[in-house]
Amino acid sequence: MKYNIKNLASIITAGAIISAFSLWSVFGTKSDFSESERRVLAKFPEANAETVLSGRFMSDFETYALDHFPMRDTFRGIKSASVLGVFRQSETNGLYVQDGYLAKAEKQLSDEMLNHAAERFQYIYDTFLKDTETNLYFSIVPDKHYFLSKESNRLAVDYERLVSEMRNKTEYMEYIDIFPLLSIEDYYRTDTHWRQENITDVAVTIGKAMGVNPDAEYVTLELEKEFYGVYYGQLALPVKPDTLYYLNNTILDECIVTSYNTGLPVKKSIYDMEKAQGRDPYEMFLCGADPLITIENPNAKTEKELVVFRDSFGSSLAPLLVEEYSKITLVDIRYMQSAAIGSFVEFYNQDVLFLYSTLILNNSLGMK
Amino acid sequence: MLFSSISFLYYFFPAVLILYFAVPKMLKNTVLLLTSLAFYAWGEPKYVILMIISVICGYVCGLLIEKYREKNAAKLTLLASCVISLGMLGYFKYADFFITNFNTVTRLSISLLKLALPIGISFYTFQILSYTVDVYRGIVPAQRNPINLAAYVTMFPQLIAGPIVRYSDVARQLDSRTHSVDKAAEGVRRFIFGLSKKIFIANILGELAGLFLYSKQQSVVFCWIYAAAYSLQIYFDFSGYSDMAVGLGKILGFDFMENFNYPYISSSITEFWRRWHISLGSWFRDYVYIPLGGNRVSKLKWFRNIFVVWMLTGFWHGAAWNFIVWGLYFAFFLILEKLYLHKFLSKYKAVGHFYVLLAVMVSFVIFGAPNFRLAFDCIKGMFGLAGLPLITAETAYYLRSYAVILVIAVIGATPLPKKLYTMAEKKFAAVTAVFQPVVIAVLFIAATAYLVDGSFNPFLYFRF
Repeated sequence: MKYNIKNLASIITAGAIISAFSLWSVFGTKSDFSESERRVLAKFPEANAETVLSGRFMSDFETYALDHFPMRDTFRGIKSASVLGVFRQSETNGLYVQDGYLAKAEKQLSDEMLNHAAERFQYIYDTFLKDTETNLYFSIVPDKHYFLSKESNRLAVDYERLVSEMRNKTEYMEYIDIFPLLSIEDYYRTDTHWRQENITDVAVTIGKAMGVNPDAEYVTLELEKEFYGVYYGQLALPVKPDTLYYLNNTILDECIVTSYNTGLPVKKSIYDMEKAQGRDPYEMFLCGADPLITIENPNAKTEKELVVFRDSFGSSLAPLLVEEYSKITLVDIRYMQSAAIGSFVEFYNQDVLFLYSTLILNNSLGMK
Repeated sequence: MLFSSISFLYYFFPAVLILYFAVPKMLKNTVLLLTSLAFYAWGEPKYVILMIISVICGYVCGLLIEKYREKNAAKLTLLASCVISLGMLGYFKYADFFITNFNTVTRLSISLLKLALPIGISFYTFQILSYTVDVYRGIVPAQRNPINLAAYVTMFPQLIAGPIVRYSDVARQLDSRTHSVDKAAEGVRRFIFGLSKKIFIANILGELAGLFLYSKQQSVVFCWIYAAAYSLQIYFDFSGYSDMAVGLGKILGFDFMENFNYPYISSSITEFWRRWHISLGSWFRDYVYIPLGGNRVSKLKWFRNIFVVWMLTGFWHGAAWNFIVWGLYFAFFLILEKLYLHKFLSKYKAVGHFYVLLAVMVSFVIFGAPNFRLAFDCIKGMFGLAGLPLITAETAYYLRSYAVILVIAVIGATPLPKKLYTMAEKKFAAVTAVFQPVVIAVLFIAATAYLVDGSFNPFLYFRF
């Protein structure tokens, strides 16, 4: 009798799970966008003779079923917890948690990627900078794995070699070493990026290396919205959100920020409070991803100008250099062809800073 | 469609169960046939026609063989059935292999056909052949109901990855089978444990094996980890799929043969092949080895029979030389055991276990390598002949990262967990009565979590 009950219980358990999630999958409300993963979810595939016979309908349906599975983020969290907690694997989907920090395990140094990044920089130098009076500087931002891997003996790219390779390939620029200024506490726990309120010393070091002295006083402001960084969404684990702070003063308030995202100049501000309330609050720093943006400072100490070739780390650093420059131009060659730079930026005697994170240098295929 | 997919677990399978149990007994095989065709068409919409043609050929040949029993026409019909079935298999699976080798030898450049391999063709071809041969031998009567025969060949639980269910094993069940709570519960348990083997062990070990292939810091230890991980992956992948097939069969009232019986505890290669892919081994034994004379012939012919069977076994797994070499590699060990090692291995079981694990791991390096060079490099690396360091930081990292899963896999490949559970079930019946549904729920939810998180989940045996 006991065995019959056990068997019945087994069937009821499995049946209940299948029925509940089947019905929920079919009849539940569907969302178009995954906030946690920051991506558009698959739409129900078009069914016609061509898509069915080619098998495309079926493969697309598979994607659709996965994307719209009920409690998707909870399930993804269960998977992450199981991989990291039960099976004690070092990472899940390349991500891990250590000391409360979520990070990406950057394990293999890619010579191909470093060469690509160096080749893009060389192209910019040869095409636009070589015969000008510009002063060229280069700095590399370490990613979180640089610090966490040291503490826990995790497999990591050879950061020393990465820096030395990039320095060797960019000898036409003066290298500014900011590695010693940073520690893991200078980064958000749930996101890739560094904390603006913790990098004023980085701005000073870079500024001094370029011959200026950015020593402005700032008010530290707190964003009321909780900040769930990009790794939070990817890992889907229940960890506490970060608090996002940003530094402000009257100089920054009076700057004129112009975005060329659409090709036409659009007035913006240093801190985009609309984006601060959006999916990725870090995008509040200089409007997030933008191929070309300029900051004009009517209160600048000097007439000097700065051009920054950068990734997203530059968005939160550039405001801290503003006081010393009358104009800062930020160029992101991940969203703009290098060949097109000349149409938007004229080079004469500016300071030119190439500021890139190890993550981007080691995954540089996106540099155009 | 994969069993380990959201579309199967939460769309297809519930729909099949509702239809299957809603219709009266006489229509169950029809439902099974139609849903199986839908299952196949989901993955291979064009090749469903090919399978239907194969079934019709098998059906007609079976009837003709029975009609002309004891006459030459029966033999001719059997021959025709074999030519048609093997011809289709040869055309779709092996044509490009032969053309490539022909081009290499003759230095011609005949264009390749580049046909997509119809999923499960190796399995259903062998099932149809077993049916017509068994009808010819008088072991089973020809099936007069085309739906029953088609339901047998196309039955989705075993269609794409076996086990190779013989018609003679399920002929009676096709006409009449019992459905019960106990049997269905056994099926549910079996299915979920198979699903867990596939998702929690095979897929994760597959990641580890993949890391080795892409590693730029290989070491002697990493070569061994790869060989062990791949050997365990292929076992948990294939046996997990077989468990799911047996489990689904039980839910639908069928009893399929077991396909695996803890092969890694074997103390000889002979024993290993009695425990590994049992349905394929027994198929080759009954339909190739014995008809060739088996061991009741001169020693030379006996060895020839072994080589033929194992060359074909290797070739069945894939149209590439590494599979043929893999099959012949086992033929070599089987002959060695029959000639010299049998008594020694029976006496020294521990040595036998070690020898089997070593031989099988090396075999799977040959089996799984994308090319001979990589296989050869890995084998050289395992034995310290490739100039690799003993261990690198990368190897140590991945060993740490996958240690738990490797230990679980090693223990799970032995009968120990089953023995412990059986003991616990006897001693603490009341506890296990509660425990079992909880385990089922946890495994099912966790398996779903892995599926939801991952979008790419290929099954190794699909290419066969």
